[in-house]
Amino acid sequence: MSSATPLAHIPLTPAPLTVEQAEAMLQRQIKKHHVAIILVHWFNAIVWLIELSTGLALISSPDLRLAPDWYLGMFTATFGSRANLLQFHIALGITWMVALLPYGLFGFRTYLRGEMLNVTDKDDIRWLIVRTLRILGKSDEPLPPQGIYNAGQKAYSLVVWGMVPVIMATGVIMAFRLFSPAVVGWAVVFHFFAVGMVVGGLVVHVYMGAVFPEEKPAFFSMITGMVHELYAYNHHFKWWREMKLAELEWEKKREHARVPQESAEGPKEAGGAVEKSPG
Amino acid sequence: MARFAMVTDLRKCVACHACTASCNAEWDVPPSYARTHVKTTPLAGTFPELTSSPYVAQCNHCDHPPCVPACPSGATYQDAGGVVRVDAGVCIGCGFCVDACPYEARYVSPRTKKVDKCDFCAPRIARGEQPACVATCPAGAKHFGDLEDRDGEVHRIVFHEGARRIESDAVAVGPNVYYLGRPEHLDLVAKSFPPHAPRYPVAREAWKRLVKPLVLGVVGLSLVGQAVAFFNQLHKGEGDFDE
Amino acid sequence: MTSRISRRGFLGTAATLGAGAAALPAMASPKVHPPGWSGTSRVDEVATTCEMCFWRCGILASVADGKVLRVRGNPEHPQNQGRLCARGNAGTGLLYDPDRLKTPLLRTGERGEGQFKAVSWDEALDFLAGKLVEIRKKHGAESVAFFPHGNGARFFATLMRAYGTPNSAEPSFAQCRGPREVGYSLTFGKGLGSPEPVDLEESKLVVLIGSHLGENVFTSQINAFATGLSAGAKLITVDPRFSMAASKSDWWLPIRPGTDIALLLAWMNVLIGEGLYDKEYVASYAHGFDKLAAHVKEFTPEWAEAITEIPAAKVRETARAMGESKPAVAIHPGRHVTWYGDDTQRARAMAILTALLGSWGRKGGLFLPTPIEKGSFDLPDFPESKRGRADGAGERFPFAIEELGVTNGLIDATLSEKPYPIKGWIVYGQNILESIPQPSRTIEAIKKLDLMVVVDVLPVDQIKYADLVLPEATYLERYDPPTIVESAKRPFIAVRQPACEPLYESKPGWWIARELAKRLDLGAFFPWESPAEHLEKILAPAGVNAKQLLSCGAVSFPGKPYLEDRAPENRTFDTASGKIELYSQELADKGADPMPRYTPPVEPPKGFVRLIYGRAPMHSFARTQNNATLSGLMPENEVWLHPMAAKAAGVGHGERVVLENGDGVKSDPVKVFVTEGIRNDCAYLVHGFGQKTKALRRASGKGASDNGLMSRVNVDPLTGGTGMRVNFVRPVKA
Repeated sequence: MSSATPLAHIPLTPAPLTVEQAEAMLQRQIKKHHVAIILVHWFNAIVWLIELSTGLALISSPDLRLAPDWYLGMFTATFGSRANLLQFHIALGITWMVALLPYGLFGFRTYLRGEMLNVTDKDDIRWLIVRTLRILGKSDEPLPPQGIYNAGQKAYSLVVWGMVPVIMATGVIMAFRLFSPAVVGWAVVFHFFAVGMVVGGLVVHVYMGAVFPEEKPAFFSMITGMVHELYAYNHHFKWWREMKLAELEWEKKREHARVPQESAEGPKEAGGAVEKSPG
Repeated sequence: MARFAMVTDLRKCVACHACTASCNAEWDVPPSYARTHVKTTPLAGTFPELTSSPYVAQCNHCDHPPCVPACPSGATYQDAGGVVRVDAGVCIGCGFCVDACPYEARYVSPRTKKVDKCDFCAPRIARGEQPACVATCPAGAKHFGDLEDRDGEVHRIVFHEGARRIESDAVAVGPNVYYLGRPEHLDLVAKSFPPHAPRYPVAREAWKRLVKPLVLGVVGLSLVGQAVAFFNQLHKGEGDFDE
Repeated sequence: MTSRISRRGFLGTAATLGAGAAALPAMASPKVHPPGWSGTSRVDEVATTCEMCFWRCGILASVADGKVLRVRGNPEHPQNQGRLCARGNAGTGLLYDPDRLKTPLLRTGERGEGQFKAVSWDEALDFLAGKLVEIRKKHGAESVAFFPHGNGARFFATLMRAYGTPNSAEPSFAQCRGPREVGYSLTFGKGLGSPEPVDLEESKLVVLIGSHLGENVFTSQINAFATGLSAGAKLITVDPRFSMAASKSDWWLPIRPGTDIALLLAWMNVLIGEGLYDKEYVASYAHGFDKLAAHVKEFTPEWAEAITEIPAAKVRETARAMGESKPAVAIHPGRHVTWYGDDTQRARAMAILTALLGSWGRKGGLFLPTPIEKGSFDLPDFPESKRGRADGAGERFPFAIEELGVTNGLIDATLSEKPYPIKGWIVYGQNILESIPQPSRTIEAIKKLDLMVVVDVLPVDQIKYADLVLPEATYLERYDPPTIVESAKRPFIAVRQPACEPLYESKPGWWIARELAKRLDLGAFFPWESPAEHLEKILAPAGVNAKQLLSCGAVSFPGKPYLEDRAPENRTFDTASGKIELYSQELADKGADPMPRYTPPVEPPKGFVRLIYGRAPMHSFARTQNNATLSGLMPENEVWLHPMAAKAAGVGHGERVVLENGDGVKSDPVKVFVTEGIRNDCAYLVHGFGQKTKALRRASGKGASDNGLMSRVNVDPLTGGTGMRVNFVRPVKA
């Protein structure tokens, strides 16, 4: 039985769906996240939670701190001493670095596709504006089609990819007191800054991922790795379209293999997109 | 509760550096660095009526130590006896405290890359001993004890013998190392080695005045934005999402 | 807890040592926590005697796992009572100095090239014994000269006498205290010894002639000084330089250099003329007052003013202050006194002044030593020397003390081969190129030797000229003869015992001397098996138990420091008259001034200033400049120049100059310290810098050597003391 969509053709831009089409799509699961991505994501999430909370507890100077006395006291008591707290923060930070470095060094070609960081095409910019206005209740305009990751996710990942090396480098400088005290002093400042920028985005990321109902499938996709096709069609149309075209490709190849040389036209349609106006 | 203090009698002190050498030996301070600094004032007066005085500077364990709030991680703290100490386990070696000290009492050890300074020999005084510099001073010029012990030597010297603090108009943080000496010598010391107003490196100032407000602004903005969104979400109800 | 138990070789053998250590119970948390202590291993505190200088303070060395972690003052020691100067506190810096001599070294290249090969002790001592036998055969035993310094030298001294040479000379005589000992001895019948018995803590008025207490630091002396000042003592400092002591003084007299005798005579003039001297004391104890009174009549303060540049009014004022405070006036006798060649006479003047004020043997003045009985071994007779001494002691220098010798006399004899050739030198515990002036002369003399041996701890400049270098263990690693101090208000006997095993191949002096003795068939002069046995014998007459001494470090005795402690019939003076000799017939008999006269010093030529020198509190001689801590406190010396002199040379504060002396000798570049605190006619350097050898990595090439600039000396005819403040330098911008 063919898994082809009920759609007769693959549109360029999202079109309204029939109820049957939507129902069918709702049932069908597509793989969005590789298991490596899922593991790295949650590893990051947990480590970040702990490092952020311990890090906040480590800043005690009155004009620099962000947490109240009872917060600092709680962490000091839990770890026994501030020295232990610092040691823990450093140890976990280094563990995090060591675990992620292979990912960063060897995985970036796979996971860091250029398009994932490019937020400058018209759809992306439009999406950023519309998404913000919509969520603040100031607009009803539909969102432009997005790729596998929407512009917001891409923008956030830009921040993360930019700031994380800073956090790592400054962390190492501080942990091993490299170069000179002046350098260490600047490292603390940049560490704080970089973390702050990520946290700024993290607030949005957590809200969008875990609280905002529209993106609920996204949250579960970070556990199962799968999203239903309707979600993909509505929220990541360009990605859905790529998937569909790839499916068609695959279908054609399969057909071609089963029906030996029956049609004289076969090969020439390979890889081609069938472009017809929407029905 | 105690309030430890030290008195250095500049009339007896001959600037022999025994205190520095003893301290260096006791705490394994790297050569060319010191927790205590022996100085001599420049000459004052005209030949042959010249004046000069020795001066021994160290951490003053001030009543209001500017180094304690300067430290981002809380490695520097003041204990129950008023002794300002550095918990090396918490020190990250940023050096923010070094220039914050009006008396230039701190240094970053080239060995550990962490900050070190006089701590009134805290482990020794915990064992009931005198600080190493006090014990070794050949001239017997140093006295150490609890200011709050009314029967004690230090209390008597400070409150009844006119021992002086080295402060300036710009900086009066309540140092707890007092000095005895001829008035003209103490004046000369205060003039030659005045404490300076606490100074902070650019990095720290940047953190305090630029980065912290910026981060709070960005995160605050995000939080506010998400709060509004959340409010709208509640207002709208779940059903409006995903046909 | 800590254990002050004796260690190591004391118990005779290593086996006993091991058993002894194991027998002591495991310790709980010790009272002292030395740096670098593991926190679990046992900490012992060994009571011993410091040798970072020669004051001999008592110390406790904290030892864990065979490593000395910390040296501090011994609170129970009668001399310093737990206090300890900067050098003492830096003792581990010598013990663990990586540049230390490690093995015996035998010269391979030409003498002076400094090429050596490491050899075993057997080879080294066999070589040395062979050479000594050879020299004795060819030239006679007197042909070997010994240059000792320090307590550990005594074993070698015995050996040298047994070998048959009377030629032994310490720099502490002719380059330091000699003229003082003789001057005071001629006056009071006995010298002062070390530590000098100045009752500073009880004094009402302290007078320092050139003495720079506070930069010249000896722990207990500084303590007494500070105590005295604190109790209200007034202070007069006579010094061309505004020293630390001058900064505490009630009167600073910036005297023209070399004119101190004039000032002292003028003071006598005032004290006698105004009847301010201690009449009763002088009548009871002194001889020759009338002659003295007549002698000083012409030496008025006005006369002195023209010479010394000290206003006559000040001369009177200070003399009257002394008169008011007598007898508790401490005329400090100084320590290093070989300045101008008339130093014995200057010491005489100071001694006479002391007597006039009635302060010899009185509270607040100079106190008296209390003799302590010491034991000795029954040794065979030392061989008689037919040819006698070669250094001139007792002859050319009629008053030089033979037991201490005249170093420069030996150098003269080596150069001139008169009265007979000197062919071998053994140098122990001193750096003769730094301790004796005219170093180029010393080097010339060395060239004439068949044998040059150096026994030292550090590879100082002089080892370049040695044929054989023997590495001695430091004071923290060895036993030395016990320290017996009689010139103290609480006289004591103290021990120097090892705190740890000698590092590398270094050996204690007693071992080296005894092993050499055995090879020379002189073992009979070392009739003891172990240091413990040696110690016990010496302590026996004083009734001190060796074990007790090793445990606590020092044992003190009740002192009798003042004349009033003795019965009147016992208040005698070991002089010809049996009294204090204000007028010295002994001097007259030898054709010298029986009472001091002022002789003007040579003045610096135009464009030159007089080079004067002194000490810094964190250094001792030229032996501490390689110490990590101490060189950190003072890595180099600076030349003090008056602003006018600096301007004339075209240099500013902190810039470098080369000091060129009158004979064209140039110093290494040295930083300038421009100050009004020195007279315009002087330049001042702290002694001990400008060391050349690269083997001492920290000391090498730092600052300028004062000794290197001393190409001239004025030899004191009475004692042979080398007056060194007769060199003039011109600062030249580097």
